[in-house]
Amino acid sequence: MPGLAPADSAGGGPDSVNGALVPYLPDSHVSAIYPLRHGLNPPISRVSVSWGRGNSLRVSVFRQPDSDGGEVGGKVVELTLGKSRDGEISDTQWRKIAYGSVSPFALLQSRKNSAASLSRMQLSPSPYHLEWWEYVMEYSKDISALLGDPKSVGAPLIEDPNEVFIKKSEEPSSLKAAWELMEMFYVDKLSQAWLPERLVDWLADYDSLISVDLPTVHSKLVEFQSKIVTLQVIEDDPRYWDLISSALAVGWLEIVTENGLVEAVAVLISKMPRMRPAIDAGKHGECFKAKPDFVKAWERWRAQITKLDSSAFWVQCDNRQTREGLKNVLQIMLGNVDVLCSATCHWMELYISHFLYIRPFTAGLESMYSLAQNCIRLKHTSNPHKLMRLMIGILGENNEVVLSECSRGFGTWMVAHAIELLTAGSNEADFLVHEERENLGGISLEELHRLVYAQLLSSHLLTWQIAPIYLTSCMRQGMGMLEILLLKQPVQENQVLLKNLEICRLYELDGVSSRLMEISGMYHWKHGRKGCAVFWLQQAQDEVRLSKIASQLFESVGKSISGESFKQWEGLIELLGSEGQPAGGLDFLHKYRDFKKCLQHADSKKDADAARQAVESLMSLMRNASTPQRFWLPILYDAVKLLSWDKRPLINVSQTNLLLNKLQELSLARLRPDFVEPELPTHALNHVRYSLATNLGRAILEES
Amino acid sequence: MAVIGIPQTQIHRLSQSKYVDSIRWLPSVSPLQQSAIVAFFDTDADSPSLEVHSLDQESKTLDLISSWVPPSRISSLKCTQAFAVASTISGSLHVFSATEAQDPSSAFRSVVAADGKGFHVGRIAGVDLMDGGSNECVSVGEDGRVNLVRVLDGSYRKVFDGNGLVSYTAVKWASPTEFVTGGCGFGLQWWDLRRPGSAVAQFKGNLEKGRTSGIIHSIDVHPSRKHTCLAGGSAGTVFAWDLRYQHQPIILSGTSNDTAAQPLSESEVWEVQYDSYTKSSMNNFSSSKLLPAMFCSEDGILGVIDQGEEPTELLAEPCAINSFDIDRQNPSEVICSLEWESIAIVSRP
Repeated sequence: MPGLAPADSAGGGPDSVNGALVPYLPDSHVSAIYPLRHGLNPPISRVSVSWGRGNSLRVSVFRQPDSDGGEVGGKVVELTLGKSRDGEISDTQWRKIAYGSVSPFALLQSRKNSAASLSRMQLSPSPYHLEWWEYVMEYSKDISALLGDPKSVGAPLIEDPNEVFIKKSEEPSSLKAAWELMEMFYVDKLSQAWLPERLVDWLADYDSLISVDLPTVHSKLVEFQSKIVTLQVIEDDPRYWDLISSALAVGWLEIVTENGLVEAVAVLISKMPRMRPAIDAGKHGECFKAKPDFVKAWERWRAQITKLDSSAFWVQCDNRQTREGLKNVLQIMLGNVDVLCSATCHWMELYISHFLYIRPFTAGLESMYSLAQNCIRLKHTSNPHKLMRLMIGILGENNEVVLSECSRGFGTWMVAHAIELLTAGSNEADFLVHEERENLGGISLEELHRLVYAQLLSSHLLTWQIAPIYLTSCMRQGMGMLEILLLKQPVQENQVLLKNLEICRLYELDGVSSRLMEISGMYHWKHGRKGCAVFWLQQAQDEVRLSKIASQLFESVGKSISGESFKQWEGLIELLGSEGQPAGGLDFLHKYRDFKKCLQHADSKKDADAARQAVESLMSLMRNASTPQRFWLPILYDAVKLLSWDKRPLINVSQTNLLLNKLQELSLARLRPDFVEPELPTHALNHVRYSLATNLGRAILEES
Repeated sequence: MAVIGIPQTQIHRLSQSKYVDSIRWLPSVSPLQQSAIVAFFDTDADSPSLEVHSLDQESKTLDLISSWVPPSRISSLKCTQAFAVASTISGSLHVFSATEAQDPSSAFRSVVAADGKGFHVGRIAGVDLMDGGSNECVSVGEDGRVNLVRVLDGSYRKVFDGNGLVSYTAVKWASPTEFVTGGCGFGLQWWDLRRPGSAVAQFKGNLEKGRTSGIIHSIDVHPSRKHTCLAGGSAGTVFAWDLRYQHQPIILSGTSNDTAAQPLSESEVWEVQYDSYTKSSMNNFSSSKLLPAMFCSEDGILGVIDQGEEPTELLAEPCAINSFDIDRQNPSEVICSLEWESIAIVSRP
């Protein structure tokens, strides 16, 4: 291969786990021209383009082969296509999420399988077992923990004037916000009774995210905070009262009560009845689980506000700003629609204020949806945030919309994992995602989204090992794609190959694993690592290739397997020696080495025992059908030493006859055009013939 | 009944944003400092790096001290009291001073390097250096070459050239003149520099009938038992080879037809080391019993094997543990590199 240029990124970020299917528009005429820096001098004779890993394009640029020497003949440049994402979550973080979601996903699938087999066996789940949604809840909590810590607008730190209202913390992620929305609506059965209050909490955590271009209560607070240091008396500023009303309207009671409000009002706010089981420490409100208790408290509370509203206090209050500000605050608590509407910015904020001050008993998705529609009408945005689109999909009970918003707004990871939430308690959604669709080639939506996610994982060097978890959960096409994935992995490095083989072992893909070992064997063979090649081909039980490479190997053996260089072959021959391993005729090498060793031993020591051993070795070599014909003469030539052993003949009559027969066969074979003449002295054949004849004579005499 | 006051094994997982190729403890320069040398590979930028990090004892976080860019990915990494030695997949070897590496004021660079066509062709699979040894670093490769690099000046000499007919995958010094290599087919070779030319003893990898063959990934030799080497490789195999009983390997772990005990791992054993922290169960010191050994595996197990005992599991991760190192000054501390771009620190009670 010509010189390899470093990967040259044209568009930015490398492939990652957050891709999305992009529709191909044939009528789009937009084209862009990017310069390609390949660093080759002209003339360029040929350019070839192919797909690389993930969304990278491999461009090979070749120069004219006959142009001046000294310069490289070509270069390969890798281009990464596509823009980098909006940047909310980095590639590294995406990989972290991908790694972390493997275990919860696998656990949930195995629970699903065992639940299914229990129901097949008509066994009712044991009474100690949890309900299915509780397992999904566990899964959801595990995944949610991966997506970041919950962030809240939180209690203010008075010490730092820059952080009066809002603690500066890490930006919350919209992915986590979306996940929590799905969890509260689809999975968490316990929260169904206080969905409005759950949404209040949700907005407190994620208000900074919900708007694309328009202000929110959060952004107004942040803006005011930056100016707060320059203000002398904060209560004199009308913006302060605006913000207090806004924060109160969306239920951020702590901010309101801890920022210099009149004691009586602050106490009232902190005693606000809340229809929820519990509230975090440091947050205000009195919780009620049962509706009648709540109603009683709510009426009492409203009566106190009304009383305060009409008290003589207001006449005594001579600061106009304070008076009007406080009056406004009370109006919010009394649920004055107009005041709420002007105190909030985004429709979601208005929506939340309705739950808090006007309709705390809103229940059922239908009424929640129509309330949301009303709020949207009042505070229309032309460019809704992806979280809001998801929200509307959920409230509108439109599962298709929810799925497509998940995919469009949050990527393939989200949709592949959030399907579990969607189907946790709904038969309708279950049917939607599990129905096998003809237009998808017979697979279900669930399988489709898992396959797409697995494809994305497969395209990255570090995440491909995770893809099998998702592929094996796909009934129809998963295993087929898994085989393709495994076969496409590089085999150059033993470490990567072994990791690949381990996956084959786990999923019992013996065929794939043999194939990989064959590919690896041939790769090593081509790169001159004969030992490695033989090892992998043996592991693959590939007799055919072993015998093919054997003939090539024998060629070099013929030349080098004598004396000193024998030691080089030692390692390879030991490998071939292991019993029960296929060797494709290569086990000849092992016997040949043994013969050579005995011969050397006999020759140097003049030891009769060693010589007899050498004869045994010789005979087994000549009898063995796997001994290549091209070695017959060299072996017989080596055996001359044994044939002319001075004390007594070592080779008996029948053995000599066998050797003579081989010699005869050899002379016939030499007539064939494909015969390879061994590199031996020219007199070798005659020498062997003469020695055999002499030995035959000696042996006949000895035996008679 | 609640058990109070029994110290527990503590595990800290430190997420990185790069793949960890290998990890080693560095010898402490002061009792308060503990540092590690880490071979990283950034897949996004396609760039390797060798970094020295100090470990904060309280928070168990890593702070970067110094970093060096190798010519290609690190394939093997070892540390002694004085030196750190790293080899690359492109066939170069680099030696660093262990004390300088931990000094933020001094430039972190290799004091000695060896490379070139005559050295290794392609990936160097294993390197080793010995404390109090000959100050020579042994390197082996898939090309079948065995070389010795002088730490003082970087000059190297060839011990053996297998010409690709054999591939070596691991190496370990046994004495200043002897070392052990391992390769395909569970083969082990014992080399003695006083008898040059070829290995003086060979283990042919025939562990047991019917057992699948594999590759040796790691070898360890204990300074007090120089005649025995510990080897780990494919199929969860950990075994010991005693030069005095060359035909009787002692299988400590692995898949087998007849062993009743379930092995901790059935996948690749990437690294083995004698574990001086685990006290052997035998009261009377018996020289025939093997010392406890720690291993890590592709299926995410970090475990300790004590001959004749049930193996113990220190860590069970959902992803592979690719390398680990036991701190020699403080052997209760183990550092591991995990497949999913993270590092784990195991502090034993």
